[in-house]
Amino acid sequence: MFYRAKFFNYSRNYVNVSKRMLSNSSKDQRKHLWSMTIIEAANLLRQKKISTVSLVKECFSRISKYDAEINAFIEVQNEKKLLDKALEIDAKGSFNGSLDGIPVAYKDLFCTSSLSTTCGSFMLKNFKSPFNATVINFLEEAGAIMIGKTNMDEFGMGAANVYSVHGPVYNPQSILFDENHFEKNDGDQRVAGGSSGGSAAAVASGMCFAALGSDTGGSVRLPASYCGIVGFKPSYGQCSRWGLIAYANSLDTVGILTRTVSDAQMIYDVISKFDVNDSTSITPEVRSINSSIPSFFKLNSNADDLRGLRVGVPKEYFVSELGESIVNLWKKGISYLKSHGATIVSVSCPSTRYALSAYYILAPSEASSNLARFDGVRYGHRSEESNKNDGMLYANTRGRFGKEVKKRIILGTYALTAGSYGNYFLQAQKIRRMVKSDFDRVFKRPNPLRFTKKDSGCNENKVDVLITPVTISTAPKIEDCLTTNVNNFINTYVNDVFVVPASLAGIPAISIPFGISSIDGFPIGLQLITQYGDDDTLLGVAKVLEKGANQK
Amino acid sequence: MWSFFKIVSTPNHVLKSFRHNIIYVKKFSTHNLYQEKWEAIIGLEIHAQINSKKKLFSNSSTSFNEPVNTNVSVIDAAFPGTIPRINSKCVQLIVATSLALMGNVQPVSFFDRKHYFYPDLPAGYQITQHYAPISLGGKITLSPLDGLDYETDVRIKQIQIEQDTGKSIHDIKPGMALIDLNRSGTGLMEIVTEPDIRTSKEAGLTVRKLQTLLRTLGSSNGNMEEGSLRCDVNVSVHEIGTPFGTRCEIKNLNSIKFLMAAVDVEIERQIAELKKGHSIIQETRGYDVAANQTFRLRTKETSADYRYMPEPDIPSLIITEDYLTGIHNKLPELPDDLKKRLMNQYNISLRDVMSLMHEDGGVEYFEEIAKNRNPHHVVNWITHDLYGLLNTNNIKFNHNPVTTQQLGSIIDSIKTDDITAKTGRKILTIMVLGDKRLCHDIVQEKGWKQLTNTYELEIICKNILSKNPKQVQQYKQGNKNIFSWFVGQVMKETKSNANPKLVNDILTKYLN
Repeated sequence: MFYRAKFFNYSRNYVNVSKRMLSNSSKDQRKHLWSMTIIEAANLLRQKKISTVSLVKECFSRISKYDAEINAFIEVQNEKKLLDKALEIDAKGSFNGSLDGIPVAYKDLFCTSSLSTTCGSFMLKNFKSPFNATVINFLEEAGAIMIGKTNMDEFGMGAANVYSVHGPVYNPQSILFDENHFEKNDGDQRVAGGSSGGSAAAVASGMCFAALGSDTGGSVRLPASYCGIVGFKPSYGQCSRWGLIAYANSLDTVGILTRTVSDAQMIYDVISKFDVNDSTSITPEVRSINSSIPSFFKLNSNADDLRGLRVGVPKEYFVSELGESIVNLWKKGISYLKSHGATIVSVSCPSTRYALSAYYILAPSEASSNLARFDGVRYGHRSEESNKNDGMLYANTRGRFGKEVKKRIILGTYALTAGSYGNYFLQAQKIRRMVKSDFDRVFKRPNPLRFTKKDSGCNENKVDVLITPVTISTAPKIEDCLTTNVNNFINTYVNDVFVVPASLAGIPAISIPFGISSIDGFPIGLQLITQYGDDDTLLGVAKVLEKGANQK
Repeated sequence: MWSFFKIVSTPNHVLKSFRHNIIYVKKFSTHNLYQEKWEAIIGLEIHAQINSKKKLFSNSSTSFNEPVNTNVSVIDAAFPGTIPRINSKCVQLIVATSLALMGNVQPVSFFDRKHYFYPDLPAGYQITQHYAPISLGGKITLSPLDGLDYETDVRIKQIQIEQDTGKSIHDIKPGMALIDLNRSGTGLMEIVTEPDIRTSKEAGLTVRKLQTLLRTLGSSNGNMEEGSLRCDVNVSVHEIGTPFGTRCEIKNLNSIKFLMAAVDVEIERQIAELKKGHSIIQETRGYDVAANQTFRLRTKETSADYRYMPEPDIPSLIITEDYLTGIHNKLPELPDDLKKRLMNQYNISLRDVMSLMHEDGGVEYFEEIAKNRNPHHVVNWITHDLYGLLNTNNIKFNHNPVTTQQLGSIIDSIKTDDITAKTGRKILTIMVLGDKRLCHDIVQEKGWKQLTNTYELEIICKNILSKNPKQVQQYKQGNKNIFSWFVGQVMKETKSNANPKLVNDILTKYLN
């Protein structure tokens, strides 16, 4: 099989694919269409070497072949309708939009008016939103084709994507590429990671070329790492949240899952715009301040030269739970950047160790508030019993939330009660500010939200980018995540330890596939983090780093 | 100086309710309370609907009387995936109100979610300002200008922005609660006073004064009956010299009259309880209008924990000095200044000024007509005749069909002796019923022009005197009362159009 787990870099693989495709028969070409990057597919579409119909067909064939096992999709578009649309696009023949004819998928918490939006919850079973999310409108305007809505942890709550009313998502690595994994794990089913597990699995298994997820506390970076693809969480406010059903509004960001960093950049360029409907969207004024601040990489850079780049390695991220093979790959990533001229610096983010606790106060608090609207009065599920029972108007309806969601609602409700607000919520907010100022202290580039002219002189001792692991281990086994052991849920939350700080600070972070574990053969990602608003430097460095994945 | 307040002069329906309140208060026992060393401590929480075309966080219209559930956007119905966006017009009106109340508008304020479950609260929380309201401090000064015998300040604790809920409609369908979300998300300003109020009269006057202020600013209709102004009142009693007592909150009072009555009965109830040796339990009470008593709604133990949380979807509200200055410069003339100016400029009484100010647009109407006319005449025509006719015909002043030119033309015609005041009133009646012509045209059509031609009048008078020798004889014998009978005869002959003064002069001349 052409796809080797040891070679996770899709763009590199494509060199082989395209050569083969251009020389070989069309039968051979179809076989590999699914693994192309968006840039490759879009180029071939423009050259009329492939058609939109063939891309859509390819995605549907991957779905019909594998989705019964992977369970990445909650709802798929009507194939005939979509092929008709693809025919229309081909007939029109103009591929001017950057994403014309590219099949994509959306996590099922993005509102779509054509397909239902369930958030992986029974509470929104068959719920159809009257409007589209802004980011979906942007992608459609750029020509992207929605294949379907992807599976997720209920309302985004989970790190393994096992808490969905539609069932868990299975890691495509163990299904598609079983022969790559070492014997002792053979036959084990791994999780895809959460909460955007369906989106990650769909992209990793070639059911679509890109997918949107959402990242509240690592929800695109974690599954991207487990599934061996790129997961990008832009700065908070870069992409509109209008139509993204909130888990924790102050942390939620639209996330991008693709096979390469360049693909992520393509999607990002389309959706990163101010939206008047999202009051937390970065305003044009702040965007212009931000672009006036110098950063290491300018817009959409493809340079390999990292001389002058200062890379920080936060010492607090060496936690005891971290697996050895991950530490090794982390070191390899650091040396790779160094070999391209970057200066490596040890830095300290002392508040990191409190970040996880703060996150698990703030996120459930906001969640308990956001989910109050699911009372069955206006839309979504309503229990028949609710009408019979006067005193407990909503109890029966709201009993239909999943186990994990109920747990977080109770946690959040407790944190917000008058007696515990000061001890929990306010303390967590303080920690959040400390985490933010940790990052502001570490990064060379000033934070555009607190930017004053006197800050503009950059402190040369500081860094441009941080490099850290994404997870403490490779994808866990499904059965380990499904266990009802009470103590286990703390362990599950520990998975978020590297991804949560960037979420609390609202700063951009990306997970890059950087190899496989020497123990079980499953993929491992490395995370890059930059200052708020410095998404360009993040993507620029990520493009260099991803090329290092295949080097010995 | 303010003695005219004690003169309950000509009947004036507009002020009826106002006076009624004053009389009502007198019956009550503020005076007796002091004799017994009791004092009431009263604070108000006033919710006023912001008079903006659009809702606080969405583009839906706020207009009243629309079919149910038609002014509802996905934001108002709290659809998943929606994000509220603050309406800058609402902020502008609240800032203007804060400035007019001498509040300190905060450079940074933010929004919070107040959680409780209720079917007409779609999100499961109300967006309000709990931790950092938009304005702190300020005051309402009550003075003789407002009808109080003394001057006192009611300090404002804070002003906050919040959203209104939908409406639950029970009783239309038995066993069903129907929900109308038209009101859901309408902007409210909550104005909280310090417990500086001591009597029901002060409480009533505070609300009255605030109402006038809101209407002047255009920031709220302030209509209690329609629910655009709602009032909760906190009442406690204590013996002077001892700490304040435990307070009870009375909710959902929908007129100033009921507010004052509820305060009085609550004061009486609390004193009675304390005299019996009972203690007051902190609780929320309702007011039963028919029985004129308050009743328990819920105690503190059963009240909800609202789990206030900063609203993560709306960034902090930043108000700059420039913004404040801009609004400050555009503030209209405030009621107290207006009162003083009108009294000085036109030399009219406070009662007249209050009467003009009571109706929305009354002052502008007056000032327009009073240009180059005697202000006393103008104010009398408006507050006595026009208000009365509108009331008889069940027309609200804001639908007044009589233009300033029309009423002005009547006053002018009387001044030039073209018509009598009595005819003027007849013409005003016609105008109130919808005639759009000026006085002159109506007079001409009806032939109501006053007879001021001395020659003509002399002929008429002489005729009457010669036809009634018996009565002339009686007059000359000393029955002076018969003089008015002659006047009456002349008026009858001239269909009341004769100038009464001329008639008087002519008759006097010939009879003597």
